[in-house]
Amino acid sequence: MSQLATFIDKKRQKKPILAMTHVVYGYPSVQESLDWMARLMEEGVDFIEVQFPFSDPVADGPSIVAACHRALEQKLDVDTCLSQLGKLAKDFPESRIVLMSYLNPMYRFGLEKLAKRAAEENILGLILPDLPIEQSATYRTACEANNIDPVWLVTPATPKDRLTMLAGQASGFLYCVARSGVTGHSSHEGKSHERKSHEEKDQTNQLDDYLAEINSHANAPIGVGFGLRERSQIEQLTGKADIAILGSALLDAYNEGGQEAGIELIKMLFTK
Amino acid sequence: MKSENGFYGQYGGSYIPEILYSSQQQILQAFEEAKNDPEFLAELNKQWQQFSGRPTPLTFCENLTNHFGGAQIYLKREDLNHSGAHKMNNVIGQGLLVKRMGKKRVIAETGAGQHGIATALVAARLGLECTIYMGAKDIERQYPNVFWMKQLGATVVPVTTGAQTLRDALDEALRDWSSSHEESHYLIGTSCGCAPFPEMVAFFQSVIGNEVREQSVAQFGQFPDRLYACVGGGSNACGLFLPFLEDENVEMVGVEAGGKGLELGEHSIRLSHNLGQPGIAQGFATMFLQDDAGQLQETHSIAAGLDYVGVSPIIAHLAETGRVQMTYAMDDEVIEACTLLLKKEGIIPALESSHALAGAFKDAPNLPKESRIVINLSGRGDKDIFNVAKAVEDETFPQFLNDYLASYPTFPADNSHANKEQNA
Ligand SMILES: Cc1ncc(COP(=O)(O)O)c(C=O)c1O
Repeated sequence: MSQLATFIDKKRQKKPILAMTHVVYGYPSVQESLDWMARLMEEGVDFIEVQFPFSDPVADGPSIVAACHRALEQKLDVDTCLSQLGKLAKDFPESRIVLMSYLNPMYRFGLEKLAKRAAEENILGLILPDLPIEQSATYRTACEANNIDPVWLVTPATPKDRLTMLAGQASGFLYCVARSGVTGHSSHEGKSHERKSHEEKDQTNQLDDYLAEINSHANAPIGVGFGLRERSQIEQLTGKADIAILGSALLDAYNEGGQEAGIELIKMLFTK
Repeated sequence: MKSENGFYGQYGGSYIPEILYSSQQQILQAFEEAKNDPEFLAELNKQWQQFSGRPTPLTFCENLTNHFGGAQIYLKREDLNHSGAHKMNNVIGQGLLVKRMGKKRVIAETGAGQHGIATALVAARLGLECTIYMGAKDIERQYPNVFWMKQLGATVVPVTTGAQTLRDALDEALRDWSSSHEESHYLIGTSCGCAPFPEMVAFFQSVIGNEVREQSVAQFGQFPDRLYACVGGGSNACGLFLPFLEDENVEMVGVEAGGKGLELGEHSIRLSHNLGQPGIAQGFATMFLQDDAGQLQETHSIAAGLDYVGVSPIIAHLAETGRVQMTYAMDDEVIEACTLLLKKEGIIPALESSHALAGAFKDAPNLPKESRIVINLSGRGDKDIFNVAKAVEDETFPQFLNDYLASYPTFPADNSHANKEQNA
């Protein structure tokens, strides 16, 4: 089993659902983002998902887009970022770090070099939402060679046969996007008739069915993200998913009230 | 030009978030069926003719030819399309495809507003809901187009992220599509984006070159020796060039925007001069203007329609293989070419198209007298009235604006607010 999946399995013996919290590297400054990551791991989050900013993050909503653009006002370097994350990984052995970015900055850095450097720094998983599995041969080989996991995404719009394929290919964990759209509160919300035409109860059932379907095929633990910001959502996922991924909601809290507000949100969502 | 699984050499492909996979597959299939369906093609031709006024003429420019004393100069008059640009060819095609797929809403990005207007026109005619994403800075620069889009019933959404121009508008259109893919079609305006968009837009634009094939033979008994087109996203260039790809004696020249200079941020030259670098963003692989860390960069052109950070994977590939030669024209050369066409031929060119003119005018004196060149006049210049007035330092224009403002009625604040809400 992959290092990441083993870690998840072990942690899940003790916890009904694990927390993965998202941080934009370099926002509002490199040091502040590193401090925030350290604080999160100090508080005991199981994972941090670190987003290396890209100028054109098309899968992200307004909060994360704004943070990425702000972060890019300074020059950011992938190699330095990996070294800094490596230090955090050493300091907090009870948590794990996965790196998320878009294809272009990673492609410029070199996908093979990325896998090698990530492994060296004990970054066990990589998430690239604009790299479809069909185009990923080199990347997958590089991840395999370095014993780290390329994390794939599935969505409610993924056709059944493709979902089966992706779930079968899953390594580390499978990232299940909870709903159509981009991360966080989206200015486009309400346009999808999925959400318009069904009642809340229906939605709950739909998500349950979707997760059950994924569970029946998945070769790896399941993480669920996009749009999580209420305790009831986390409760609903407990028992059906292994990891709840907290992104924009945490960033919004951080923007409102700094680290303290962020930690408060996490406690509100995850404390029994 | 047929792709290999969406790729043209190393460019193209489909690099989109997983949420868009099924919608992209649906378009792939719908386009494949439609382009082989005689009924669809008949309807397309009918709309091109009856709504957009095709075929557009091939115009011989005697005065310009004499002026340069070299090649015989012809213009393909895409400026005479309804909406005043070649953009209409694509929008009519995709609009009919939207109807075929049973979708109710279209989303589009626009820079100058030409594609936005063309999309709004077709949406109105086909009864589709229409949302246009436009950079807040472009809205400021191109308000007359925004005005017409709104009058046509479109919702124009100002994009305030990043540099607030075309690239950001495209990102935002993709984000909308990610949440609305079930009922919305992303009607991209140029031969960029994920497969099959480059191929599909090039297919709809190829009507330009196909007409030139017939018109050149009818008017001067052979194909042209050289073709010129400006290259923004690359759709008018694909449209003129691709039908001649197999005709090896026909040379092709693409002209990019040199802007104010060759420093990063001052121009939109992705292909000539090795200024762009291979990258993967906005759904596809091509040459992008980016820094060494892979962050996409700001671009500039006096012509908003050429002010784009990437370029069609088809053109990138043809430039790499040497089938298309790439060059560029600077802002001031473009104004000069525009002015010359006005004075010599009585035609008002778009500033985008004036890049193709500038590129061709540089070569024309040195080409043999019996050679014939066709320049794609992709659009008319009425939209550029403010920019050209500034560039030629017209003294009366500010006075006109002042007088106009002085006589403009003021509306009660709440009324104009309501209007904004409805269209925001
Ligand atoms: C008149 C005109 N020509 C050319 C272009 C550039 O686009 P493309 O390179 O796709 O033809 C535009 C884009 O807005 C345009 O309006």
